[in-house]
Amino acid sequence: MYRYIIRRLIAMPLLLLGIVSIAFLITHFTKGDPLISIIGERQMDNPIVIAAAKARWGLDRSLPEQYLIYVGNLLTGDLGTSLRTKQGVGLDLLQRLPATLELVVAAMLVGSLIGVTLGVAAAHYRDRAADHFARLFALIGSSLPVFWSGLILLFIFWYTLGVLPGPGRLDTRSMAPPYVTGFYTIDSLVAGDLRIFAESISHLILPACVLGWAVMGIISRLVRASMLDVLNQDYILAARAKGASEPRVLVNHALRNALIPTLTIVGFSFAYLITGAVLSEAIFSWPGMGSYAVDAARNLDYPAIMGVTIVGGAAFLLTNLVTDIAYAFVDPRIRFG
Amino acid sequence: MKKGMMNTVRSRGAATATRRALLLAAPVLAGLAGASGFLPTSAQAADTPLVIARAMDINSLDPARTWCDTCQIYVSNVYEGLIGLGPDNKTLVPRLATKWESNADQTQFTFHLDPTAVFSDGSPVEAKDVKWSWERLHNIKGGPSFMMDGVKSIEAPDAHTVVVTMDAPNSEFLGILTAPYTGAINSDVAIANGANANADADKSDTSEAWFMANSAGSGPYVLADYKADDELRFKANPNYKGTKVGISEVVIKNTKDAVAQAQLLESGGADIAMQIDPDTAKTIKSDSVAIETVPSYNFVYVAVSPGAKGNTVKLTKEVRQAIGYALDYNGTVEFTVAGQGKLQSAPIPNGFPGTDGLPTPTQDIAKAKELLEKAGLGNGFEINAEFPNMNVYGVDLSLLMQKVQQDLAKVNIKVGLTPLEFSVWRTHVRGDGIPLTAVFYAPDYFGSAQYIQYFAMTEGTPWWKRAGGANDASITNAKEGDLLKQALAAPEAEKDKFFHDIAMEMINDRVIIPLVSPNVVLAHAKSVKGVRYSACCNLPLDEITRE
Repeated sequence: MYRYIIRRLIAMPLLLLGIVSIAFLITHFTKGDPLISIIGERQMDNPIVIAAAKARWGLDRSLPEQYLIYVGNLLTGDLGTSLRTKQGVGLDLLQRLPATLELVVAAMLVGSLIGVTLGVAAAHYRDRAADHFARLFALIGSSLPVFWSGLILLFIFWYTLGVLPGPGRLDTRSMAPPYVTGFYTIDSLVAGDLRIFAESISHLILPACVLGWAVMGIISRLVRASMLDVLNQDYILAARAKGASEPRVLVNHALRNALIPTLTIVGFSFAYLITGAVLSEAIFSWPGMGSYAVDAARNLDYPAIMGVTIVGGAAFLLTNLVTDIAYAFVDPRIRFG
Repeated sequence: MKKGMMNTVRSRGAATATRRALLLAAPVLAGLAGASGFLPTSAQAADTPLVIARAMDINSLDPARTWCDTCQIYVSNVYEGLIGLGPDNKTLVPRLATKWESNADQTQFTFHLDPTAVFSDGSPVEAKDVKWSWERLHNIKGGPSFMMDGVKSIEAPDAHTVVVTMDAPNSEFLGILTAPYTGAINSDVAIANGANANADADKSDTSEAWFMANSAGSGPYVLADYKADDELRFKANPNYKGTKVGISEVVIKNTKDAVAQAQLLESGGADIAMQIDPDTAKTIKSDSVAIETVPSYNFVYVAVSPGAKGNTVKLTKEVRQAIGYALDYNGTVEFTVAGQGKLQSAPIPNGFPGTDGLPTPTQDIAKAKELLEKAGLGNGFEINAEFPNMNVYGVDLSLLMQKVQQDLAKVNIKVGLTPLEFSVWRTHVRGDGIPLTAVFYAPDYFGSAQYIQYFAMTEGTPWWKRAGGANDASITNAKEGDLLKQALAAPEAEKDKFFHDIAMEMINDRVIIPLVSPNVVLAHAKSVKGVRYSACCNLPLDEITRE
């Protein structure tokens, strides 16, 4: 298996180079002028100012030159400087990635725990009220667009009822805890600031539920289908015949086997959530990778767009690998060549 | 036990567990709510930060490179200029300069600095800092560098005197200095962090990253923290020479749309919401929120480009005038900003020099048809309109252009609408040109010259180029340039007359047709006082207090 992992790891940079090359071409062939976000509308007809800005940001060079310089810098770990934030894209991403990861991890927790629970319950109570409820809930979750469910839940729980906080990672007047990991929940605990900890948890609830709901639907349906399949197997009958309690049969015997296809979805969902957090981050004013990507795209911030693409691509490649490896642990029958 | 019965028992158990979970969760949620304090509050304690909700459009925090609406707020409150603009948005008031004078032909200006003024680090503000800041502003070749156009030399004969000599008369130079980008930077601190004012500063200055995290001004506030796309945090400058500020900490919180801003304001999460449109303002019901609308100097206009390559017919002056007569100005103000706006005659905002007595724009369909008939286009024609897909100053440009489409259809002009991303629109308007478009403008300072330099059909101005002046010489109006020179050389009492004449010429050109000057909606918590709209600086934070 180690040889397999090493082979996959060696292939990753090549795949990333392909992603970088395609993204570079698409970005630079997009009609639009990134200079407007640098110098503003008023000076866009001033040739001296335009020339200075182009020279400063390397936009006066030919496209192949720009590509070679970009890839060369990339090999040294330099993702370039954002035209908008004026700091290294690597640093930008490092500052925003924890916000997105914190949200995605919370969403995955919500989605996986409730999704698996609903799936197991639906399978166990097949064709009964609990099953119908779980399937309807799952269907709604996977059908509703997050921008809509996000707005509705914000309107209900924040604006109308006032029981959950509004947009942002913290209350508008609060200061972020000193940076350690970028996860406010962790950094606030490290700083010993329980008020900020409570605030960061409470601010996570709504966006995590909205984002997690979409994944929850997929997971619960998959778990239900797998569980129904597994519950008809002979070894389940054998376990029951041996007198194993129903929870033990469900969790230890059935769920463990039913989780194998679910792992694939969980793995893919993680990467999907990282790159797909765009809308929920926009709705919840969450300063993560998603909102960074949107602003980068709107302003044609080439280095930032490339940086987000690379991180998104790497996330997909890594989660694929981790999922494949996880298979081997869950299902001893799987061997890698 | 029967299976069914077992399930019923389990279901009851599950229901009990659910109830128990909810009961357990309720105090946890309440605890989180209480601990984090997000529940709506009517007023905030005086020592908590003042929160301003607005969409942050920051492109830099370096005064020589920054150029945006939020940047105006930042720079004007952190980097104090020599001259300020009074609450009437017209009167020049002393800031770092206690007094100033100019020579008779408006080519030399002398400023006397306040000897007590200090930067945020306690070092004195000296003439050398002002000279360095202005030379750097010019040499960086950034967004606001044109503020120093026409400056021949800047001298600092002593520590508290600055003498500026111009290439040509410029009676508006004092007005230009109210623009926040001309604020004084602590040159010693900036130089130590990679800044320079040399002629090649556009290449050799490496300080922008430093300016994104630090400040070196003498204004009422200093930069406390900046998180791009999230928040901009100010704290009071302890060494500020002026009146002590009423709020010690201010946060501009990135809140992208008007509805979210309104909700944040109503819930107590924000004290001021800056980009509320009139329709959203009507939805605010909270008793703790005050809303007032005041006229602004911002305006939205349509532009007709005779030299654009996509034109299907020649857009002669007659045709442009026909378009002007076909538009329903009052209806547009009603349709786009629910009546919360003003008509504007020329591409110079109401109240600026030269705008008194300009004719009110009116719709006259018969006249429009007559002009089109005269131009041989009685059966109408097709024209393509591309415009930025934006909502600016409460005006949705897509809605506005739909109204234009309806109006022009009445004179058989068929308008095709194509909304574009702003960066794409820019490429198109600078490339082949756009036959019909809609855009916006906000003043950089109090003065009319900026509009003539931008909108007049004088060779070389941005809109002369965009309208296709190089392809269609008929749109060139050299008279506007000549009148501008006379206006800039005229004494204060006489310059309005020249600006008025230029405004009439620009109205007659019918290339730039202003449609609406939307009012600014000032929405804030009632406990917050001193919120006002500033033509140069957007929102003067030092005037804000909280009860």
